Amino acid sequence: MAVIRDTIPAFELFQPTSLEDALALKRRYGKASWAYAGGLDSLDWFKDRIKRPDAVIDLSGVAELRGIRDVDDGVEIGAMSTLTDVETHAGIQSDFGLLSDAASKVATPQIRNQGTLGGNVSQDTRCSYYRGGWPCYRAGGNICYADTPTSINREHALFEADRCVAVNPSDTAPALIALDAKFVIQGTGGEKVVDAEDYFITPSTDITRMTILEPGDILTSIRIPGTWKGAQFYFEKVRDRQAWDFALVSVSSAMKISGGKIEDIRIVMNAVGPRPLRLHDVERQLKGQSATEDVGAAAGELATLGNRPLQHNAYKIPLMRNLVKRAIRGLEV
Amino acid sequence: MNIFQWEQNPWGQDILVRISWDLLWLAIIGGAAFVIGHFIYRAKNPPQAAEPATGSAADAVPEKVVRHSLVARLFHWTMAITMFTLLITAFFPIVGIQFEWLKIHWIAGLVLAGIIVFHIIHATFWMSLRDIWISSKDWAEFKLEVAHVLGTGKAPPKPGKYPVDHRIYHNLVTLAGVGVIASGLLMMVRIDTPLFARNPYLLSESTWGWVYVLHGLSSVGLVGLIMSHVYFAILPEKRWMTISMIAGWVTKKDFLANHDPERWVVTEKASK
Amino acid sequence: MANGKLFGTNYSPPDLVAKMTGKAKYAEDFRAEGMLMAKLLMSPMPHARVRNIDTRAAEAMEGVHAILTADDLPETDNLVGSDRALTMEPMYQGEPILAVAAVDEQTAANAIEAIRVDYEPLPFVINPLDSLRPGGPNARVGGNTVKDRKDVVEIKWTAQDFAEAGEEMPMGQPEEEFELGDIAKGFEEADLVLDETLYHQSQSHHPLESRSCMAYWQNDKLYIHVSTQSAQRTAPGVARQVGIDPTQVVLIAEYCGGGFGSKIGGTVNMAIAALLSKKAGRPVMHRVTRSEENAYGRARPGFQGRIKVGFKADGRITAFDMYLIQDNGAYGRSGDFTSASRCVSLNYTPLNMRFRGISILTNTPTRAAQRAPGGVQITAMVEPVIDKAAKELNLDRIEIRKINAPDNDTVYGSNQHNVTSAYVRETLDKAAEMVNWEEFKQQSGRTNGSKVTGVGVALSSYVAGSRGFDGLMVIKPDGNLYVHQGIGNLGTHSTFDTARVACDLLDIPWENTVVVWGNTGKHLPHSSVQAGSQTTHAHTRANLAAATALKKNLQEIAAKELGGSPDSYDVSGGRVHRKGNRASGMTLAHAAERAIELGAKYDGHEVAEDINEWTKTAAAGLAGQGAMGAAKDNYGGEGDLWSFVVGVAKVEVDRETGAVAIQHYTAVCDTGSVMNPRGLKAQILGGSVQGFGLARSQKWVYDPKWGVPFTQRLYNAKPPSILDVPLEMEGAAIEIPDPQNPLGAKGIGEAPFGAGVAAVLCAIQDAIGEFDLKRSPMMTDLIINQLENQAQPYKVLETDV
Ligand SMILES: Cc1cc2nc3c(=O)[nH]c(=O)nc-3n(C[C@H](O)[C@H](O)[C@H](O)COP(=O)(O)OP(=O)(O)OC[C@H]3O[C@@H](n4cnc5c(N)ncnc54)[C@H](O)[C@@H]3O)c2cc1C
Ligand code: SF4
Repeated sequence: MAVIRDTIPAFELFQPTSLEDALALKRRYGKASWAYAGGLDSLDWFKDRIKRPDAVIDLSGVAELRGIRDVDDGVEIGAMSTLTDVETHAGIQSDFGLLSDAASKVATPQIRNQGTLGGNVSQDTRCSYYRGGWPCYRAGGNICYADTPTSINREHALFEADRCVAVNPSDTAPALIALDAKFVIQGTGGEKVVDAEDYFITPSTDITRMTILEPGDILTSIRIPGTWKGAQFYFEKVRDRQAWDFALVSVSSAMKISGGKIEDIRIVMNAVGPRPLRLHDVERQLKGQSATEDVGAAAGELATLGNRPLQHNAYKIPLMRNLVKRAIRGLEV
Repeated sequence: MNIFQWEQNPWGQDILVRISWDLLWLAIIGGAAFVIGHFIYRAKNPPQAAEPATGSAADAVPEKVVRHSLVARLFHWTMAITMFTLLITAFFPIVGIQFEWLKIHWIAGLVLAGIIVFHIIHATFWMSLRDIWISSKDWAEFKLEVAHVLGTGKAPPKPGKYPVDHRIYHNLVTLAGVGVIASGLLMMVRIDTPLFARNPYLLSESTWGWVYVLHGLSSVGLVGLIMSHVYFAILPEKRWMTISMIAGWVTKKDFLANHDPERWVVTEKASK
Repeated sequence: MANGKLFGTNYSPPDLVAKMTGKAKYAEDFRAEGMLMAKLLMSPMPHARVRNIDTRAAEAMEGVHAILTADDLPETDNLVGSDRALTMEPMYQGEPILAVAAVDEQTAANAIEAIRVDYEPLPFVINPLDSLRPGGPNARVGGNTVKDRKDVVEIKWTAQDFAEAGEEMPMGQPEEEFELGDIAKGFEEADLVLDETLYHQSQSHHPLESRSCMAYWQNDKLYIHVSTQSAQRTAPGVARQVGIDPTQVVLIAEYCGGGFGSKIGGTVNMAIAALLSKKAGRPVMHRVTRSEENAYGRARPGFQGRIKVGFKADGRITAFDMYLIQDNGAYGRSGDFTSASRCVSLNYTPLNMRFRGISILTNTPTRAAQRAPGGVQITAMVEPVIDKAAKELNLDRIEIRKINAPDNDTVYGSNQHNVTSAYVRETLDKAAEMVNWEEFKQQSGRTNGSKVTGVGVALSSYVAGSRGFDGLMVIKPDGNLYVHQGIGNLGTHSTFDTARVACDLLDIPWENTVVVWGNTGKHLPHSSVQAGSQTTHAHTRANLAAATALKKNLQEIAAKELGGSPDSYDVSGGRVHRKGNRASGMTLAHAAERAIELGAKYDGHEVAEDINEWTKTAAAGLAGQGAMGAAKDNYGGEGDLWSFVVGVAKVEVDRETGAVAIQHYTAVCDTGSVMNPRGLKAQILGGSVQGFGLARSQKWVYDPKWGVPFTQRLYNAKPPSILDVPLEMEGAAIEIPDPQNPLGAKGIGEAPFGAGVAAVLCAIQDAIGEFDLKRSPMMTDLIINQLENQAQPYKVLETDV
């Protein structure tokens, strides 16, 4: 079969207006179905004719998936809220600025107007080989083209690789983990609420997926508890150009300081592994210390322990180290 | 149903990737069909206690006959554990039960490879290879056995240490085992382990395809083989054998009922 | 003339509103009744032979109307050297094999999936040096370089060449070389000698509009809507590719969303829509996607280079020895590397110089001129070396450029031509003045937290004009001036700018001027291609010549009717009138009517002998419509036209993250008199921004095992975004007229690009404090590795990583 790209093949489009209908469709078509949110990842796959679902279920008409609501001490964000909604929501800006900051660094304003929070956290990796339609592990084959003696793997993983060395590209995912968000999933097994951290999986669990979503599942909302409200946040994303570019490495952290000491902290890196990498060891070490340059530097060293660089991505090691340091000390020296 | 999984490589050429996992289901169904078939047959033709062997050789048999040395039993059970580990880690994810399987799989694979190397050495120097070998003479006996099972012939003569079906089974397992281990060891070059520098381009695409097919076919074969093995092991009439794989010995009664003391001469050394 | 009413002033060109509102129709926006859509089957392999194509299943599909293969293309000469629209021996991944026309793109794509192509993979090569190695692969079956523009031959260097070079670039037998002066003596006289192995990447053109095309036939005439830089000059290109006479072509190209050299005379894929349309008997639209644009569009050739430069203690360059290996792609032969030698010879006027070069075929997209071809690469490679010398010799970075700068007396290049003008010292001075250089450079090395500032200066040059083209214009009885422009509307405004010369000469208000352009059915004169920064120079002159001829006709018409000598008449205020007495004369509308009555040369029934056949045909088409001016630019001149740009950049590099922010950029140019100040600024700042991309974020990436590229989408090709452009950007010209153009103007399209790349690279180098830049782009990873003293993941001469 000759390969042709850039032309979307036919599929059946469903535009349910209730979650119930959407779930029923997901159940009916199972693996042959595709939840369609903003389409910025989806359309890429469709137009290249690499992923060919029979049934595309457009979630944009499902009212239950929209809107940002205050709940208890935190907020609940419908999965179909756009990144612009998230970025500009006053409550999120004031209480959970980490998330609005992260959302504001995604791609371009146009993409943020269209892309959704649910889609952003559920998006597939951007490994060029996989995106090129090569039959690698992640595509169901038995080879990783990005980790051979001659591969180009500048954007690939330092940690948690297992056969597949791709990274999670999302900017909002690590921020949500740092905020201890809960992901609400509806599916065949009813409603499930999982910690943000547990939403993401590594290839050692399932090499063809980035998240725990099963074919019948829909991510309905993301709840941010009040736990980290108003904490000291830090988000930084390093990229080759200042717009329209995925992170080479990003850091998201939430820190509570009391009496000059770090009382509690959550710190998460992305684009260094197949899922956002929460730095548990670093968090433990930092508790009770003061947020200084030296403490940050030591944390940076600890953060990078156990890295396994590929041919072209060793630069991510010092980058990661420095970003951890910056997250602790803040930008000003 | 497909036999092979094909993909298009980056140049659009068809490449063999591995066997189709349809074959796994085929092996399971095949194994199950055999077990069920046998079970039905057995229900219709209940096994009768065989006439014990008699004669001077029979008289010379001690009360307890050592059937499996401690080393052999350890080998068997280690192998059983690794095999199950390998099969579970291999096939559970395929049927949809996801967990971190790969590391366990290759470590178990290395253990299996290790004990098999040990087994080969041990069997070559300390056990009688002839006990397990198949010769053309066995073929005639095998036909008799099959005919007997099908109710058309007289009972075949009693075997020596290992009946011919056991030996065929062993050799099939050997074949599949060698296939799965040899291919598995090569496949470790494709993944990231502390042992080799990863190099998926070590062999040509088509060679790799066949390596994966060999691994797949052997392991799927093992699924069928092991299913039948486990089935026989739990049948009441075979229980004495299963017990012997734990305890190491068989009673004189079981010995004489199932073996020909002329063909399996229990030497002084072996009996206690 | 430079002080005409319109020349030198800002205005809104007549296509602006259409472009801003989306009303402008580009090739892809046209529709025709019964129009089919085309899709291409492209080679998945970097080099292969097509053994067999089985299209039966596709042909049987409903809605599939025609399939075009290489066998359907007309025979053209020079098959060895250049590419065609389709091929049976693809030489790079993405080269088109066949095209399908169907009722819609979905059907066409499905049809392509149903086609079976049997390929025999052939050896391929991505890095030219690999091909030069003994026993190395060749990009083409016959060899690895094209000789005399027709024969493919093989050149291999010896194992010894490679062994002797060690980590540096080997320098085996070159294909081209020249020496000016005595290079050995030059090095003897030098106080400092730098010997550098350097790399500059290949890069796609990335025009915003892809090379889409729509075609249909009527009465044996081909009507074709294309995306091309030029207009009149593209029509013969279409004819050649389609195998018809140029008179059978009506080419419509009113707008072009950029070309940067990749669409000069049209594009090879124009034949596809045309021939599919002929085969199917229906109009055919071929929309080209972004990744296709980057596959079978064009690219700038990369250089691997060894550059050895000798400096006196005062910075004067005594010897410049350069060896370039050009990454040629699989087809044709790029002139970039020889242009590079000319830029070096001109920018630094080395007392002694040697150039050696070789152009090696690789299985990568076809190369073509890209905005300052050769100039950008060599400027980006050499300027950081000049800074390294300045650092070692403790010289000011502007001074070292001034001491080596050319002037009007300079002769340069292998054939030792002179230039019409070169005011480089003046340009450097103005740049220094604008940024307040003495203070500006003090910022170098200044830190702010983890950030450190660097400043950089770069000098870049490129050709800026040509001579001898035609102008054609008519004043019709409606009193309006119709200027027919054969040059394309590439977006530089020169199509309109150069028409204003006629308005000034004839004192006709812009409101009464109609520029006719972009459709060869509308009688366009023979023009320069819209490339090589030619049009400003060439067509101010051509239109001045035609306006002068028209004025002469008007004067004669007035004299005939009102008596007196033609010389006693003047043209102004919409009238031909007696000098000094506007009341005594006639309106231009009236003169136009008189011209039609008089016929002959007055209304274009007779035209000057020396104008081009194209112009004669166009004039014949317009004859009898009014008072005509048709003339060739016979102003003559001596020497080559060059313009120059000095770029000054300030960057801030974050030492912890490798992030680079360009904080300030100033570009000053020597481009003669300024015709359209706003247009000029757009050119020089736009060109600079393109340069920022090559300096910082844009690169080609190939998987070396498969020969397949990964940077064909804009999001992974990474041209600069608006957030990568400094808020502070200044552009200016020194405004010294070129002495050889009556209007003083030179072109400026190209030179800004190289200055943009090099100034930013120099500034990054300055910020990092290590003057040892070997390759670009300086992307985040390379900067971090350098700051952290980590090994770079690849060697200097590796390509496309
Ligand atoms: C050029 C470009 C640059 C980009 N740069 C960045 C960047 O810098 N940082 C960044 O974080 N992102 C970036 N993105 C990603 C983008 O921002 C989108 O967030 C992302 O592609 C997916 O969001 P979407 O709403 O478009 O979802 P879709 O593309 O429609 O869906 C993405 C995936 O999630 C699944 N999905 C979506 N919603 C649900 C749901 N509610 N339940 C179950 N499954 C669901 C879909 O089935 C699909 O598999 C970029 C994208 C592009 C095209
Ligand atoms: S890194 Fe993962 S996604 Fe990329 S080629 Fe390897 S297996 Fe495929």
